[in-house]
Amino acid sequence: MKRVRLDRWASQLQPPRNPRLQVQRCAFSHETTTLPRRRETEQQRQYITQTQWQCQRRTVSSKRKASTATALQEEGNEVEADTPEPSSGAKKPPTGPSPLYAPSHRLAARSAKLAALHARLSLPPKLPLQTLARCLVDPSADPRTDYNNAPFAILGQDLLGYHTTEHLTCHYPRLPMSVLFAAQYAFVGEATLASIRAEWGVEVVAAPGVEVDAGLLQLKRQVPGNSIVEGTGRRVKDMPGVRVLGARLGGGRRNAEWNYRRGVSSRVVFDDEFGDLIGGEPYAGAQLSTSASEDGSAVEADEADGTTSTPPNLPQSPDDTEATTVSDASASFVRAVAGALYLHAGAAATKTFHRDHILSRQLDLHTMFNFTHPTRDLSRLCAREGFEPPVARLISETGRLSRTPVFVVGVYSGDNLLGEAAGASLNEGRVRAAAAALRSWYLYSPSKVEIVLPSDVEGMAAGKGKVWKPQVIDVGEIVT
Amino acid sequence: MPPARTSSLCASCATALHSQAPSTSHAGLRTFTTTAAHQSAPAQDQPRWKQTPPAMKMAFRLRPRPNQPEWKVNDQQAPLDEMYDSFVGHAGEAAKGQTGVESIKGRDLLPEEVKWLAITHKSFDHGRRGFNDRLAFLGKRIVYLQTSLALLRSPTAAPQVFTTKKERKNENMNIFHHPALAGTENLTAFSKAQVLSPSRLARLAQSYGVDRVVRWKPKKAENLKGSGVETVLAHTVYSIIGALAMQRGGEVAARTARERILQPLGLR
Repeated sequence: MKRVRLDRWASQLQPPRNPRLQVQRCAFSHETTTLPRRRETEQQRQYITQTQWQCQRRTVSSKRKASTATALQEEGNEVEADTPEPSSGAKKPPTGPSPLYAPSHRLAARSAKLAALHARLSLPPKLPLQTLARCLVDPSADPRTDYNNAPFAILGQDLLGYHTTEHLTCHYPRLPMSVLFAAQYAFVGEATLASIRAEWGVEVVAAPGVEVDAGLLQLKRQVPGNSIVEGTGRRVKDMPGVRVLGARLGGGRRNAEWNYRRGVSSRVVFDDEFGDLIGGEPYAGAQLSTSASEDGSAVEADEADGTTSTPPNLPQSPDDTEATTVSDASASFVRAVAGALYLHAGAAATKTFHRDHILSRQLDLHTMFNFTHPTRDLSRLCAREGFEPPVARLISETGRLSRTPVFVVGVYSGDNLLGEAAGASLNEGRVRAAAAALRSWYLYSPSKVEIVLPSDVEGMAAGKGKVWKPQVIDVGEIVT
Repeated sequence: MPPARTSSLCASCATALHSQAPSTSHAGLRTFTTTAAHQSAPAQDQPRWKQTPPAMKMAFRLRPRPNQPEWKVNDQQAPLDEMYDSFVGHAGEAAKGQTGVESIKGRDLLPEEVKWLAITHKSFDHGRRGFNDRLAFLGKRIVYLQTSLALLRSPTAAPQVFTTKKERKNENMNIFHHPALAGTENLTAFSKAQVLSPSRLARLAQSYGVDRVVRWKPKKAENLKGSGVETVLAHTVYSIIGALAMQRGGEVAARTARERILQPLGLR
C-alpha cells in the first residue's frame, strides 16, 4: 500500500476554503517573504473583488480552465512548497531559480490548441510553436521579459503600424490628419486587433497558471470598472488613484494645465500612432514628468535631456503586475504574432501577414469625415489651389411646396462640378454638396499602377520586381 | 472741416491703411481640369512654397500689427540645401540607380517643393502654404521601427545558443532559446522612450542645422523653449524621413534613420 501523505491530503479533506478570505498564492512559488502589509490588503481587496466577479461570471468551460492551484487550498503559513509537485505534464524542475507562471515551453509542442492555431493561421514552419506559446503570455501573467510577449508586441506594433501608415499615405495622399489617425486605429487599433483575436478562435483563460493549456491567451484580468468594491459602496472606477493621461516618460505634454490645448499636430510627436494620449505609465514605477507648478519640492530625477537614468522598478512576479483588459491583451497577442513572425520568418512574411489579416478588412473611409463648415472649407480650398470660387447651383428639385422636398444641388468651380448632393432644403443641399466635394478631394487615390509602397523597395524586397516611383505628396488639409 | 476719411475706420486702422501700399496680385486662376484651355502663367508666378496663395489673403492688412518682434524664417535655398546634405550624409547611396537621381547628396534627393514642405510646420503662415504633418506621421513610424530593430541588435548579456559545457550548466531551462530571438530583452518601452525622447531628437536636429531653416511661428519669440521648439524640431526630423520615404523609397529612409538619427543617438 502506498504511504498516505497526510500533509498533502489534509488540505483536500477539509472543506474548500472561502477564496474571499484568503490571499491566493501559486502553489509552486518559492517565495517565503510576506508581502508588505499595505499592499497585501490592497491585493486582497483586488482579489476579493476579482474572485467575486469571477464567481458571478463563471461558466462550465471556464471552470475547466481555471487554475487548479486555487483548488489546492494552499496553506501559505503552514507548509511552504519547497519542491514543486510534478504536474500532469512532465516538467523537469528548473535548474535556475526561475519559477514558472505560465505553461512551460516544453509543453507547447503537446498542445493541440496551439498546433491548430498555427495551422489555421498558415504560419510558416520557421515560427516554432514555443514562440507562439510565448506570444500568448501577457506581461500581466508573467512580467519577465524572457517569458512574455512584450518585446514581440512592441516590434509587432511598429511593423503593423508602419505597413498600415504607408498603405494609407500612398493610397490616400490627401487624407486629413484626424481621419488618418482614425483610419490607423480602424486598421490596427486595439479594438480591431481584439476582434481579430476572437476571429482567430483564440480563447482567454479566466486566470493564468502553469497548468492551463498553452494555446490559451494568458492574462491577469482587470476587475471591471463598474463592479462594486467589497466593503464599500463605490465602484472600482470611482476609487481614487486614477492614472493621469498624458503623463509620459522623459518630458511630455503639460496636459493637466488649465490653459493647455492639445492640438492635432503635436499628436504626431507626443501621442501614439492613433493620436491618443499615451495613458499613464508605460510600466509600473515609471518616472513621470510633472508640471512646473507642482514640483516645487519634488526631486527631478530627469537629466537635462529629459530622460531618466534610473532604471525602472519592474515587477518580478504576477502578484505585482497590473491587471489588463482582455481587449488590451488580445491586441498585444496579435501584435506579438506579427513581431515573432518578423524575427523568425523575416520582413516579407510579416508583410504578407499584414496584407492577409489587416488590409483584407474593409473600411469605409468616406464615413469617417466630420465637417463643421464644409462651405467655408471648400471656399478656402479653392482659394488655395487657385480654382475659381465655388458656386452652388440647383441642378434639379421636386416637391418644393410639399412636406418632403428634394433639392439636388451641385457646387461648381467655374464650369466644373466639384460635388453634388441632395437635401431636404436648399441650404442643406448646398452644405451636403460642399461636404461631398471636400470628401472627393481628400479621398483622392492615385491609380494602382502608380502606387509603390516604400517597403516594396526596402531590404530584401529591393531587388525583386517593383521599380520605385515617387509617390504623391500633398501639402496638407485645409486648417479649420 | 471734417476729416477726409471714412467714419467706419478707427484712427490706427486708417493709418495702417495709408502706410501700406496695396499689393496687386494678378495670379492667374487655375482651372480644375487639365483639359481646359491652357492659361499662360502670369509673370510673377512664384513657387508654391514661396508665397501665400493670393486668394487666401486680404489685399491689405486691416488690423494693426501686433506689438512684438516680427518672427522671420529662412527663405533662401542655400541654407536649406546645406541642411539636407548634412542630414542625409551618405545615406543617399541607397537611391543610386533610381530614375531621376543624378547625385546622391541630400539636396538632390528631393524636389524643391518637397524640401520646403518637409520643414514647414503647421504654425507657419497659418498652414496656408502646407505643412509636414503627414510626412512626420509616416517618418515617425519608420524611425520607431528602425529603433526597435536596432535595440534588438544591441549587445545582450545572455547568449541565445549554448556551446560550452559551462554555459549549458548556467542555462535556464525554462526559457525557450532560439537564435532568432536574440536581443529581445533589450526591447522595452523604457529603452525606446529613452532613445527617442523629443528633447534628444531636438538636440540632434540642432546639430544638423534644422533649427536654422525650419519654418514655423513660435508663440513667444523670446521664449522658444516655452513655445515648443523641441517639439517642432522633432516633428521636422520625422517629416524629413517621411519625405525621403515617399520620394525615394523605404530603403533610403530606413538607412537615413539608422545612420543619421539612431547612430548619433547611440544605437547601431
